[in-house]
Amino acid sequence: MQDALPAFVLRSEASSTAMNDSPANPQTNAEAHTSSTERQYADHFSDEKLMLAFSQGSADAFSQLFSRYKQPLFGFFRRRLADSSHAEELTQETFLVLLRSASRYQPRALFRTYLYAIAFNMLRAHRRKAVFRATFFGTRRATQDPTAHDSPDANLAIREALAKLESTEREILLLREFEQLSYAEIADLLRLPVNTVRSRLFRARLALRDILKGAAAKAAAATFTESEEQV
Amino acid sequence: MNTSTHPVAHEEVMAFLDGELSTAQAQSVFDHMQHCADCSNLAEQLGETQRQLAAWQLESPTPATEAKIQEAAGKLSPRPQGFASILVQKVFWTFPWKPILAFAFLGIALLALSPSGNMRHESVFEGYVPSDRSPRIGASKSASSGGVARGANQMALKAIPPAGANDSLLDLATAGKRTRGADSNAFAYSNRVAGGGGDEVSEDRSPAPVAAPIHQPMIARSVSLTIVTKNFASARASLEAILARHHGYAAQLSASTAENAPRSITASLRVSTNELAATLAELKSLGHVETESQSGEEVTQQHTDLVARLKNSRETEHRLQAILLQRTGKIADVLAVEEEISRVRGEIEEMEAEQKSLEHRVDFATIELRVSEEYKAQLDNSSPAASIRIHNSLVAGYKNAAETLLGFVLFFAESGPTLLIWLVILLVPVWLLVRRFRRAAAAF
Repeated sequence: MQDALPAFVLRSEASSTAMNDSPANPQTNAEAHTSSTERQYADHFSDEKLMLAFSQGSADAFSQLFSRYKQPLFGFFRRRLADSSHAEELTQETFLVLLRSASRYQPRALFRTYLYAIAFNMLRAHRRKAVFRATFFGTRRATQDPTAHDSPDANLAIREALAKLESTEREILLLREFEQLSYAEIADLLRLPVNTVRSRLFRARLALRDILKGAAAKAAAATFTESEEQV
Repeated sequence: MNTSTHPVAHEEVMAFLDGELSTAQAQSVFDHMQHCADCSNLAEQLGETQRQLAAWQLESPTPATEAKIQEAAGKLSPRPQGFASILVQKVFWTFPWKPILAFAFLGIALLALSPSGNMRHESVFEGYVPSDRSPRIGASKSASSGGVARGANQMALKAIPPAGANDSLLDLATAGKRTRGADSNAFAYSNRVAGGGGDEVSEDRSPAPVAAPIHQPMIARSVSLTIVTKNFASARASLEAILARHHGYAAQLSASTAENAPRSITASLRVSTNELAATLAELKSLGHVETESQSGEEVTQQHTDLVARLKNSRETEHRLQAILLQRTGKIADVLAVEEEISRVRGEIEEMEAEQKSLEHRVDFATIELRVSEEYKAQLDNSSPAASIRIHNSLVAGYKNAAETLLGFVLFFAESGPTLLIWLVILLVPVWLLVRRFRRAAAAF
C-alpha cells in the first residue's frame, strides 16, 4: 500500500528526511563500522535478536545496538530537555540501565518499545527531581546552551510551537514523529487507549499546524515591516 | 465534520497517512481522497507540518559520552547464563508474585480481623468440691488423725492393690506413711494434738509432746497424668465418683467444651496418700493414658527442723509465762515480758501453720490430671440459616457504619477547631508551594 501511495504516507518521508536519527534502516548505520562481526549482526539480526545475544554475553551485539540507538535515544532526550548535558546524562543512564537489566530481558515486545519505555521512565524521574528542586530550592529552568547546535531559528520556532501544546498531546506527537512509534506502542508506553492516542495525536497535529502558521505569518509581517522601514 | 456528513473522518485520513489502517480501510480512504478535496487538503497540510518538524536538526552526543557507555558495557556485559540462572529467571521473574502476595496479605488481614475462636470455658473455679464431698473430707481428716488414723490406715493397707513397676516409688512412700500411721506414730500423734487440739495447748500452757525420732522419710507426692477418653461425659462423672470414693477433692478444676474441638478437663486433685495408688488405678481406667509422671519431694529434714524450732519456742513461751507469774518488778518490765510472750506466740502459730501445711502435703498427694476427649470431627448442622446470618451481618454492618460515622463526627468535634487553626496557618505556605510546583512542572 505504501508503495502505491508514496505522496501521502508520512512514515516514508520521515525515515528519509527528518528521522535521520531513526534506527529504521540499520543497514545504513552498520556500514560505518568496519568490524565484520558487527556487519554480520547488522545484516542478519533484528534488534530483538541482538538484545538476546547481548543478554547471553555478546559484547558485539551491544556495540551494534548502541550504534543503532545512540543518536535516536539522545534525540529523544534532547528534544524534551532544554539542556544538552542533561540529555547526554540521561542517554548514558538509559544505556546503563539496559546493560544492568540485560540478563532479565524477555523479547515480548519490540526492543525499540522496551528501550523507549526505559528512557521514558528515566525522563519522568528526571522531571520529578527537577520539579522538586525548582519547587523547594527555586532552581531556574536551564538556559539554552549557546554552543549547542540547537540554535537555528527554525529549531527555536519548533521548540516554542511544541511548548504551546498540551503536555500529553506533545508527548504523543513527539513519540510518533521522531521516535516513530506506532499508535499501539505509544498507547502502551503512556498507558492510554489506542483511540485516545489517535484522537489526541490528531488534535496535536492540527494545533501545531495552526501555531506554525501563526508564527510564519508573524515572521512574514515582521520582515515586511523591516523592509518597509529600510525603504 | 462527522461520518454522517462525510464518509471518512479526518482522523482516519491521518491514520491512513501514518500507515495505521488495515488494507481494506486504507484502500477505502485512498479511494475517497481521490475525489475529496477537503481530505486531500488535510493530507497536504499534515505533510507540510511534518516537513517543518523535520527541519529540527540535533547535534550528536559527545564522544566522551559514547566512550563512557562503551566502557560501562565492557564492565557490565552479562555473562553467559547457566541452567540455574535461566531457571531462576524463568521462574522467579515470570512468577505472578503480585496476586499471590495480595491474596496472602488479604488472608492475613482476614485472620487478624476474625473473632478469636469460639472457645468457651464452662467453669473454672478454685477449691472445687463435689456436692457430697464435705462429710468425706471431714472423714478423711479424722481418718488421718490419732487412733482413727491407725484404723483407717490398716484398712488402706488391705485395700492397696499390688504395685506395678510404675508404682514402686509410690508404694515406698505409702509404706512409709503406713508405718508412720500404724505403728508408734508419735510424730503424727503430736501433729494431731498440736494442730487439732491447739486450744488445749493454749489453755493449759503445757509443752506439746515431743516428736519421736522419725525413721521413715516424709515424702510429698505429686503425679501428673494425661488421659484420652472416648466417652468424655462418662469420664467426667467417673472422676467425681472416684474422688468421692477415695476421700479426695479437686483443688482446682477447669473444663473446656469448645465447639468443633475436643473437650477437656484440667484438674488438680488432692487425695490421701494412702489412697493414691488406688485412685491412680481407677483414674487410669477412664481411658488411654498418654503421659504419666510421678515425683516425690522429701520434706523430712524440713519437718524435723520445724518441730525442733516449735519445741524451743514453746519452751521459751513457757519460761516467759513462769517469769510473769513468779517475778515482780516494774510495770515496764512486765510489759516487756508480755510483749515478748506475744511475739513468741506469733512465731509458734506461724510454725504450726507451716507444719500443718507440710503435713497436709505429705498426707494428701497431688494429682495433676488432664482428661481430653478422643475427638471425631462432625459436620456442624447447628449453624443458623443463611438468611439469619445475612440479617445478622447486615445489622452488624449497619452498627459498624454508624459507629464509624459517629467516630468521625466525634473526632472532628474534638479536633476540628485545632485542625482549622493549623489549616489557616499552613494555607498560605502550601498555596505558595503549589503555585511554584505548577510553574516548575509547566517549565519541565
